[in-house]
Amino acid sequence: MTTGHPPPLGPQAALVCVLAGVAYTLAAGRLRRRGDGWPRRRDATFGTGLALLLWGWCGPLPGGPFTEHSARHLLVGMAAPVLLVLARPLTLTLRTLPPGGPRRTLLRVAHSRPAGWLLLPPLAAVLHIGGTWALYRTGLMSLTHHHPPLDVLVHLHMVAAGLLFGFAVCRLDPVRGPRSLPLRAGTLLLAGAAHAVLAKGLYAAGPPGTKFAAGDLHTGAQLMYYGGDAVELLLAAALAVQWYAATGRRYARAAARAGHGAGPRVQRPQA
Amino acid sequence: MDEQRTHARRATEPRRSLAVGAVIGAAVMAAIDEIVFHQILHWHHFYDRSSDGVALLSDGLLHTAELLALVAGFVLFADLRRRDALSPAHARAGLLLGLGAFQLFDGIVDHKLLRLHQIRYGVDVTPYDWAWNLAGLALLLVGAALSVRAARRGPRTP
Repeated sequence: MTTGHPPPLGPQAALVCVLAGVAYTLAAGRLRRRGDGWPRRRDATFGTGLALLLWGWCGPLPGGPFTEHSARHLLVGMAAPVLLVLARPLTLTLRTLPPGGPRRTLLRVAHSRPAGWLLLPPLAAVLHIGGTWALYRTGLMSLTHHHPPLDVLVHLHMVAAGLLFGFAVCRLDPVRGPRSLPLRAGTLLLAGAAHAVLAKGLYAAGPPGTKFAAGDLHTGAQLMYYGGDAVELLLAAALAVQWYAATGRRYARAAARAGHGAGPRVQRPQA
Repeated sequence: MDEQRTHARRATEPRRSLAVGAVIGAAVMAAIDEIVFHQILHWHHFYDRSSDGVALLSDGLLHTAELLALVAGFVLFADLRRRDALSPAHARAGLLLGLGAFQLFDGIVDHKLLRLHQIRYGVDVTPYDWAWNLAGLALLLVGAALSVRAARRGPRTP
């Protein structure tokens, strides 16, 4: 069933995805050749994220117009950004770039005060979920139907806000300021609740100024609701694994200090 | 704190085992409630038209909290296991306490005091209410009995 609504982005977007994939693979290969560890599953995570992004930007999607839109929203704004963030692109870039100019600039940007503000989890959540609320609960969505450039802009904002939210919550890359686990988990909780409420509301009433068939609206809203759950679980698991690894390191250090089962860092040769 | 933890490394942590079990139990019962009654039986719908905005928000919060609590509960459980600090008897007791406490809280506070939603619409809810609340009470009592037994046997139950 085709809808006649063309995908928002075309060949340029596909080119961006392919280039990003090639760059990541080359960089990871370079690290491995020089003897640095870079797990292969990160390559797979990044590749999957790019594939989902490509699909959401350019690919055909089944269902009525709203279901199709909802699937794109899920792929471009939620699933793909989280996977891309989990592959630690910033860390990889910083480790591949030679010391000096671009590397220093990139690090300075990542550690800058404005980046710190943007990456404050609650603010990133407001930009991400707030943007979604604005799209579906104001006349914005009906406007995008009449102005294709606006539609493109909305899709670019989706991926940018999704990436920002992922960076802010996961913090796997070296960005400014540590943020406590309770803050990040609490933000995830509120953002997830706001998303669930929005999806349930769309089930009952579509975005203002648009006319979607009831069945289409219901399928799209349910897709958004359960898709949101899946992404939320992925983010929660990422946080949980971080906590698990960090406490594991703490136990190992404490055990090493107490003198049993000394870790590798402690067993330095006595000069 | 770190030092204390190091010294207690091989001892089980009964209270923590109980709490972790309770977190998992409450999350599982919330999930059962939502999956069975909201999504499979459609007794209260995906969008419950009888509830207002606040009830909808509380539903969203409950749903998200239940997912996060499941993940948190299992990672805390894994942490107890890797430190050999798990007391299985206490964790089992906690699991049942969590299951029963969530069910009873839902049945009494959500259904009756706040009247957020009822189990079913268009029928006499009395038998449903009794079944739901008594089942919750039974789980809670079994959990309490298990926790008393676990405490009597001492924290070092294998």
